[in-house]
Amino acid sequence: MASTANAKSMNRAATGQPTSVVASFIKRNVEVISISASIFVLAIIFSILNPRFASVENLENILNQAGLPLIIAVGATFVILIGSIDLSVEGVMSAAGMTFVLMTANSRGGTDYGFWAYVVAIGLAAALGFFSGVLFTKVKVPSFIVTLGMWYVGLGVATVLFGTDTMPFLTNDDLSTWASQQNLGMPNNFLLGLIVAILGALFLRFTSFGRVTLAVGNNEEIARGNGLKVNRNKVTVFVIAGAISGIAGIVATIQLGAVNPTIAAGNLFIALPAVVIGGTSLAGGKGSMLGTVLGVILLTTLTNGLTLADVSPNFKTAVSGGILILAIVITAWSQRDRLRISK
Amino acid sequence: MTAEINVVPAGGNLKVKLAKAWQSVGPLVVFLTMFALVAILTPTFLGNGGVTIVASSAASVLLVALGQSLVLNIGSIDLSNASITILGAILLAMTLNSVGAIAPLFILIVVSIFGAINGLIIAFTQVPSFALTLGTFGIFQSAALVVSGATTVYVKENGDAIKALYQSGIGGIPMTFALGVIAALVAWWFLRFTRPGLAMTAIGKNESGAIFSGIKTRWLKVLAFTMSGFLSGLAGLTIIAQAGSASPMGLGSDLLLPGIAAAIVGGTSISGGVTNPLNVVFGALSVALVPIASAAVGVPSQAQSLVYGLVIIVTVALTLSRSSNSIVK
Repeated sequence: MASTANAKSMNRAATGQPTSVVASFIKRNVEVISISASIFVLAIIFSILNPRFASVENLENILNQAGLPLIIAVGATFVILIGSIDLSVEGVMSAAGMTFVLMTANSRGGTDYGFWAYVVAIGLAAALGFFSGVLFTKVKVPSFIVTLGMWYVGLGVATVLFGTDTMPFLTNDDLSTWASQQNLGMPNNFLLGLIVAILGALFLRFTSFGRVTLAVGNNEEIARGNGLKVNRNKVTVFVIAGAISGIAGIVATIQLGAVNPTIAAGNLFIALPAVVIGGTSLAGGKGSMLGTVLGVILLTTLTNGLTLADVSPNFKTAVSGGILILAIVITAWSQRDRLRISK
Repeated sequence: MTAEINVVPAGGNLKVKLAKAWQSVGPLVVFLTMFALVAILTPTFLGNGGVTIVASSAASVLLVALGQSLVLNIGSIDLSNASITILGAILLAMTLNSVGAIAPLFILIVVSIFGAINGLIIAFTQVPSFALTLGTFGIFQSAALVVSGATTVYVKENGDAIKALYQSGIGGIPMTFALGVIAALVAWWFLRFTRPGLAMTAIGKNESGAIFSGIKTRWLKVLAFTMSGFLSGLAGLTIIAQAGSASPMGLGSDLLLPGIAAAIVGGTSISGGVTNPLNVVFGALSVALVPIASAAVGVPSQAQSLVYGLVIIVTVALTLSRSSNSIVK
């Protein structure tokens, strides 16, 4: 494929035919353009179905709903870029959220550790990510099985911390209204998601860590052969994903103002399809944070619009699941080959 | 996947022998150890119908785990099986009320079709099985919510024959568990003595080799997932037999992890090509003992999912066959 494309451009150069700037721009950004167009089309359809969709309140609503999945999707993008998968997101989120609430001012009493509540919660999440990463790289357990186990370990930690007492809720009103308050015309949680995404994009583009991540995902054997510290990179990716899940857990708790062990249920189902339709390949090595941001906005627009069009919320996971299937089938379609092995 | 030749290092023979020994008697030893532990620490367990409780909760785990083992055996994984179980149970409860006695047969056909759809997409579009079944998991879960209206569906009519499965039994072991054991025997026979069964194991051991040997790998994958759907449906039947009702959040809605754990503790390899359905019986019994055993050693009941998660990670880590230069994703 690549060689024919090269031959074409060489031909073009040889015949002196100028390559159109617009055409090459479209070619380079085909995913971003097609997702943006899909969001636009969806917005028009939903506005016709229910005029309330295009109201300012609802747009704020969409951004508010997109905040949490966006944070999670950034972590998931890193993991998918190295060709692995992190299924532990929901478990790690509940463990971090529960730790956070119990260490800050809450209805169950206890000491308010202030700033340290954030540190310990995110630290715990990063530690869970670290264990996943080490088990994956050193013990060579496939990432989907390690993180499936870690999902339930996280849930278990949250359930044990929760105990048999009443549900703890936040007693600090400034904190429990933080997520929906606005700055720069955007709800705080979306703003935080955007900041995490921008940091992620900068890390990926401008640090050696980011470049090694892409190289590992692209071809691990060659990366190793070139002396890159592949294992260290993979563990770092899982630690970052864990820490980001921890942040997401805290945000989820703040949004609800309270916490129970199932607080994160359903989040994996928005984040994963969003990353995949954002153009990040499940095989690794290819993808972008911009794609992920747009993927999250597309999915949130879709679920929000369906709710406004009076579709039962029971259909929510089916929509995400269907989109996940569609996205992976479309990306795999061109690579079909009788001799290709996919597990 | 990798084609390198593994040179067996010095002392490697012992390792191979240990692995073989684990695969043949390991699951039984694990189960007997846990059983003895529980019997010693809580002597009342045996007197108070503890065996019946373990066998009945092992029944649905066993059926789901057998399906999972067949799928793991070809090197894939089915994350949607537990949601098929619940959807099947809900549909069964509803159709028993309206259609009547033919309902179980009808439902088993429907769940087999669900499994076949998984298999067809995986085999013919070549997408990773964990990603596809995660997607269908979401769809089946939604379908269960929508069909049941997010409430409990009770069996009001024609349920006696199915409930009898749970209420009758031999020596305190309910028939639902016997059903699981029969399914295990059939699966064992299928894998050891039939052409498609042997070919499935061949796919798990070396898929490229299987393709070049002229094995119809794609249709066998479809068959493996269809069987997983069918067995998940049987698990749904045992849930109706035990509870007389089904709901999206009720009994059996959390079978995914126990099912994988039972398959792996039963000696099934996560990378394919190795499974013994008869040992999965002991895997399922061990998993059903986990809550009782962890209570016996003083682990709080809230920590149950933590124990399941750790069991999976540790068992896979201990039993995984690995070579130092292979790539794991």
